Amino acid sequence: MSVASVNELRAVPDESPKEVRHKSYLEEGYSIWSWLFTVDHKRIGVLYLVTVFGFFLVGGIAAGLIRLNLLSPSGAILDNDTYNKVFTAHGVVMLFFFLIPSIPGILGNFFVPIMVGAKDMAFPKLNIASWYVWMIGAAFAVWGLLIGGIDTGWTLYPPYSTRSSSASVLPGALGVFISGFSSIMTGLNIIVTIHKMRAPGMTFGRLPLFIWAMYATSLIQLLGTPVVAMAVLLMIIERATGLGIFDPTMGGDPVLFQHLFWFYSHPAVYIMILPGMGVINEVITCFSRKNIFGYKAVAWSSVGIAVVGFLVWAHHMFVAGISYYAALLFSFLSMLVAVPSAIKMFNWTATLYRGKITFEAPMIFALGFMVLFTVGGLTGLYLATLGTDIHLHDTYFVVAHFHFVMVGGMVVGLLAGIHFYWPKMFGVMYSDFWSRFAAVLIIVGYALTFAPQFYLGLHGMPRRYPNYPPEMRVFNVASTAGYFVQGVGFIMVATYLILSLINGKRAGRNPWKATGIEWATESPPVLHNFEKTPVVVCGPYEYPLNVMQTGEKADVR
Amino acid sequence: MLLQTTILPPAASEMAYRWDLLFWSMTAILVTSGLAVYAAMFYFCVRYRVQEGVNDHTTAPPPRILGSHKLELVWTIIPLLVFLSFFVGGALIYDEVMHPPADAPEIFVTGKRWMWRAQYPGGQRVIIGQNSLDYSDTLANQGYFEGALVLPVNQKVRLTLISEDVIHDFAIPAFRSKIDVIPGRYVTTWYEPTQVGEYHLFCDQYCGTNHSLMVGKVRVLERAEYEKWENLEVEGSAGLEGRKLFQKLQCTGCHNVESSKAPILEGMYLQRRELNNGKTVIADEAYIRNSIRNPRLQVRAGWQAIMPAYGHDQVSEEELVKVVAYIKGLSRGKSLIRTDATPAPIGAKTEVPTAPEPK
Repeated sequence: MSVASVNELRAVPDESPKEVRHKSYLEEGYSIWSWLFTVDHKRIGVLYLVTVFGFFLVGGIAAGLIRLNLLSPSGAILDNDTYNKVFTAHGVVMLFFFLIPSIPGILGNFFVPIMVGAKDMAFPKLNIASWYVWMIGAAFAVWGLLIGGIDTGWTLYPPYSTRSSSASVLPGALGVFISGFSSIMTGLNIIVTIHKMRAPGMTFGRLPLFIWAMYATSLIQLLGTPVVAMAVLLMIIERATGLGIFDPTMGGDPVLFQHLFWFYSHPAVYIMILPGMGVINEVITCFSRKNIFGYKAVAWSSVGIAVVGFLVWAHHMFVAGISYYAALLFSFLSMLVAVPSAIKMFNWTATLYRGKITFEAPMIFALGFMVLFTVGGLTGLYLATLGTDIHLHDTYFVVAHFHFVMVGGMVVGLLAGIHFYWPKMFGVMYSDFWSRFAAVLIIVGYALTFAPQFYLGLHGMPRRYPNYPPEMRVFNVASTAGYFVQGVGFIMVATYLILSLINGKRAGRNPWKATGIEWATESPPVLHNFEKTPVVVCGPYEYPLNVMQTGEKADVR
Repeated sequence: MLLQTTILPPAASEMAYRWDLLFWSMTAILVTSGLAVYAAMFYFCVRYRVQEGVNDHTTAPPPRILGSHKLELVWTIIPLLVFLSFFVGGALIYDEVMHPPADAPEIFVTGKRWMWRAQYPGGQRVIIGQNSLDYSDTLANQGYFEGALVLPVNQKVRLTLISEDVIHDFAIPAFRSKIDVIPGRYVTTWYEPTQVGEYHLFCDQYCGTNHSLMVGKVRVLERAEYEKWENLEVEGSAGLEGRKLFQKLQCTGCHNVESSKAPILEGMYLQRRELNNGKTVIADEAYIRNSIRNPRLQVRAGWQAIMPAYGHDQVSEEELVKVVAYIKGLSRGKSLIRTDATPAPIGAKTEVPTAPEPK
């Protein structure tokens, strides 16, 4: 891997010859085993980085097949069964093997210990175990996709999934079930680390907001994932043994599955978006040189989203035959969960006020996040409102809404995070010009892909249709065009990031002159993150004072 | 049409108007506030960007603003109130949708992969679904296979739906209506169509291979048109049953456009008929019935009295009602053609006749 060449660069003696230099975590070993058997949270983060983007590629190719097929009203390239398998593959891979493990797996593993000033996670072996469990789950899912595909949609609704589908549902569902444990392990590890491993002086009020977001995320992972595991397990039992749980012909209740499934899967969308929001806090403050506006409000809004997020699941089921009063209650609660997201948006915007704003790639991504997430959030209100949801439910309006949140929010948030922390993770800097260009391209590509889908949804185009009425063609073609614009953006990102590993400029400790504790250590960090246990003297965003959390000047190195 | 040019699909029901009102009110508020946030972001990004000598590391550092409880309360409470007003607006519509009027006629709909079967209160039945991929040749073109849910305009109608296999969803965008159709349970919704026309009907809950073909049309007709459809055209209507009897009883052997032996029966209901005894009668139900039971009593001028009488052993009174209903409703150009599907009686002449119909 190109890591070796990075390390050759690192070997050149630099500015501080007096100190004893420890090896960076990348230099701790070069064999494949030193990676596969590592318990270092940073290496595990890199393992996640590689595998998560591997799945992103798979899910992205599936998305491309979907969009290509929808170029023509009668379906351009795929027959119906294949299309059904492709959109299921896209959903399963993107949700369970990309979005859910993405930021917690990559940035969470890599940066939670560093940002609380710890040497490692609380349970390093559990940490590597989580990656293996996830890979085993992924292997099952890939097996299911390869030996015939899964055609149930990622929601796995019975009785279709238990009775009618002839595809290989079992391995796919097992994959989802198993990978859930990985999510629980990571969540548990992060919660314990945040509680027990903080450096001296790192009070909860001085925690970076990314850590607050990760804490809220982990709470959901820990409490929610067991429920989806149960739901999937019950579904597997019904399919494998014919025991009537959800199938009404055997006395079961198909809506029960939806309750269990969404009890997890709605909070799961906050697993997907909260870490992205966390990253945005770090980036917005850094590139506007400002304290976050309303630290407490932003921190508690994360926790608020996590808690209230558990009480809104049935808004996925307003037309699914739930009781009238349940629908009223869940609509009301869904309105409440929208408030913390609005607070965050306003606070980020206020943070820009009177700043010194520069537009490096992470900042462009962060601003893109704010623009796209606003669309995603506001359109969510139409779906939380009972009356409007009736018409929009299960149409492309929903597809567009959650892609604006998941892709425009989480993926852009992830990219902001990756670009922000890349110099810390690998000690090298990527091309400034190309990264800004790619950021703009990806954001424009997203908007172009998903904005037309709102229009299609308003006209009632249902989800999961390989063909559609001819009058809907123009907007489908525009959406497909957007896919290719983003695609080019992603190829650029992959190219300049990989090139930066080979011949990127040395980044130094603190290339962004940021104030967080993570910038007080070497880039890339040493095995135990800090040369000596850091002492935290202030909050994470003292840009106006130019003081890092360790008390050093932020713009010195 | 290549491009839809309106933001919303046609609004063809009472509920659709109310839905659109709520939608546009919400949109006005949301777009305004969204644009306001964008404007603030954009302004701050331009105004406070780093500029050499004006706003960079040489100038004073940014102010250390930690927040403002007042502002934060404002932008917590105002959105909350706005969102709650959406909740109320939405709940009012949902309340109506969930509580169908008790007196509306009820149509039963059964979903089955990948078609819908609708059963009307009068015994009429339609099958919807099994479209072709490009939506071009719906089976609606093939005679009596409607492929559409037909509804009268300005009349409330209640739908009770159930699925035979997996979960489906019965969605009509023009009515802003949608409901999951679940196996093992009845669900109910209702419409009051307000605009004549043909609209999409989709299955919105994924149900397997041909999920996207479980679609059809909703056809909203004027009252009179609807009654005609209801009585004459649809499977299960008296007219269509009569038509089948008309074929079964071999009436088409003579009463067809190619035959010179008998008059064709198009558009004759309530017309004056001159008889060969010089009298004139109005062709009402009684005339039609008599002409079948006892055809030689009233023979039309210019025709031979060759039609056999159909007694009770050939066609019962109950069946005769249906035949009469068919003949009553037979409009110009709709006469059956004698084909293999409607074979001529044994021994009948099969050559193409040349004689024109007498005036």
